[in-house]
Amino acid sequence: MNIYSVASKNLLRRKSRTALTAGGIALSTWALATLLGFSRGYENALNRDIDNMGFQVLLTAKGCPYEAATLMLKGGTGLRYMKEDIVRSVASNPEVEETTPMLMQGVFDPDKGENGAVAAYLGVDALSFPRMKRYLEFKQGGWFRDNTAREAVLGYEAAELEQREAGDKLLIPGIGAEMTVSGVLKRSGTQDDGTIFLPIGTVRELFSRQGQLTALGIKVRKGADIDALENRLYDLPDVQVVSLAQVKTTIMGLVSGAKAVVLALALIAVIIAMSGVANTVLMSVMERFGEIGIIKSMGALPSDIFKLVLAETAAVCALGGVSGLLLAALTARLSETAARHFLPYAPGGALIIIDGRTAAAALAVILAGGLASGLYPAWRAARVRPVEAMRGEQ
Amino acid sequence: MRILFLFCALFCAADCFAAVGCDLNDPDRDINRLFPGSSGYKTVYLSVKTPEMLARIEKRLGDKFHGLYENIGVPYTLYEIYRDKEKIGYVHGVNQKGDYGGIQVFLALDPAGTVKAFYIQKLTSRTAKELRSKEFAAQFEGLSLKNFRDYDPLSGKAAPVKNPASQPGGDFLHVLRAVKKNLILMDEFVFSK
Repeated sequence: MNIYSVASKNLLRRKSRTALTAGGIALSTWALATLLGFSRGYENALNRDIDNMGFQVLLTAKGCPYEAATLMLKGGTGLRYMKEDIVRSVASNPEVEETTPMLMQGVFDPDKGENGAVAAYLGVDALSFPRMKRYLEFKQGGWFRDNTAREAVLGYEAAELEQREAGDKLLIPGIGAEMTVSGVLKRSGTQDDGTIFLPIGTVRELFSRQGQLTALGIKVRKGADIDALENRLYDLPDVQVVSLAQVKTTIMGLVSGAKAVVLALALIAVIIAMSGVANTVLMSVMERFGEIGIIKSMGALPSDIFKLVLAETAAVCALGGVSGLLLAALTARLSETAARHFLPYAPGGALIIIDGRTAAAALAVILAGGLASGLYPAWRAARVRPVEAMRGEQ
Repeated sequence: MRILFLFCALFCAADCFAAVGCDLNDPDRDINRLFPGSSGYKTVYLSVKTPEMLARIEKRLGDKFHGLYENIGVPYTLYEIYRDKEKIGYVHGVNQKGDYGGIQVFLALDPAGTVKAFYIQKLTSRTAKELRSKEFAAQFEGLSLKNFRDYDPLSGKAAPVKNPASQPGGDFLHVLRAVKKNLILMDEFVFSK
């Protein structure tokens, strides 16, 4: 019989106590693994959302609402335009990999609601825009044939509202222009879901906006100095620079405050669980002083007793830790739903990633903490003097 | 059982987003206009629960539900209208595919199922002006499901109201199909219960 089988027998003698201690450890492992998984998952998801935008910097005319939602809030007014020449000027920067011009147009539709509303159309380049937004997938059809086609691509929600499918006609109110729906996008979880895309040349022609842009998306080369590029763009007259790197920093700043609080709570949970482990193992040692004395009198060394108690501690921590990890993996989606409810902004995709790396990190913390908690009881057990223990003096 | 339900709810969430309902843009304002004298409303969400119910509705309509967005998963929003504690009617809307865009047709009904008001909330059409006119809306007042029983949405025969537009068919027929569907759904959800 080795020390491990003795340790497991000892644990099984007090099943309820072992189960309660392992349960406490499981809960703190769950909290820790979920938090570590959230920490990785949130940043990954945010990076993915920003990458999915296709461009890292957006250039618009100063004061121009560059999102359809803002445009609608302003009743379709307030659009400002840049000269198309700016594309060449921006593309000449060595950091720029590619640019995509956009031209937004709002149209008042008197037949929406009681008093009418604004319908917004986004003119995009038929070549560069799909290349940058590779994450967009089609439910039906595909992108327009060229920049002057009388075709439209509808985001998922826009298509639902307009009840459009590929091949259907779409009428632009006010000007009476008919488009053919060339494609309907799958839901992407971004503002593209509510957007009606038209070829940029068609928007220019329909609304007499030759040589004008409302926005320019800029994709930066990998590893290029975005700050240096942004500083040069700030010097351009009458344009505003929207940096998605800044947006990411701001969001991460907001979330890191919440993460710090939750991490502190998780650590408190770990400390409480470890105190429980120390208490349980110490009680177990004190109850078995006589037994330990007999083992020592039979020739066991203090180091053997030390190892025996630490083995018991490690077994309880491993049992609780693995259960906690399973719980964290099983409830990841539920925890994600709760996180989305409370967070001011939650990117699309998995927010909590419980993978091998996260699990190993959480288990390492729990095992290290557990073993540290078992050191004192193990030391007390190792110091037991056989004769005194058998007399029941200790 | 509760845990099972929770898991089902979580894992089926993606499918729940697959269909869009038809809500009033501004219920407080719109209900006051459609039901003058009402003092409040309650919102109830309903759905076509079974394939058998869908088949019955399609048979009564005389046409199949079709397209990407007209399916069994569509949720319906019913506004129950109150004057103090008395229920004085209903407002219910449906989406309908039109020639050039989505059409949202709302009906205000009294407790017996008679149309008190007709309202097209959204319409993209070359005949939008005529179909959203007060004169066209007035033709629906006093009608009920029995007036639409013989109306065939495929051929447009036996229409209980006149086409206000000079060109035949088109979105006029789509609007009438939406009205008949709306009345059948109200009968299934409320009046035949």
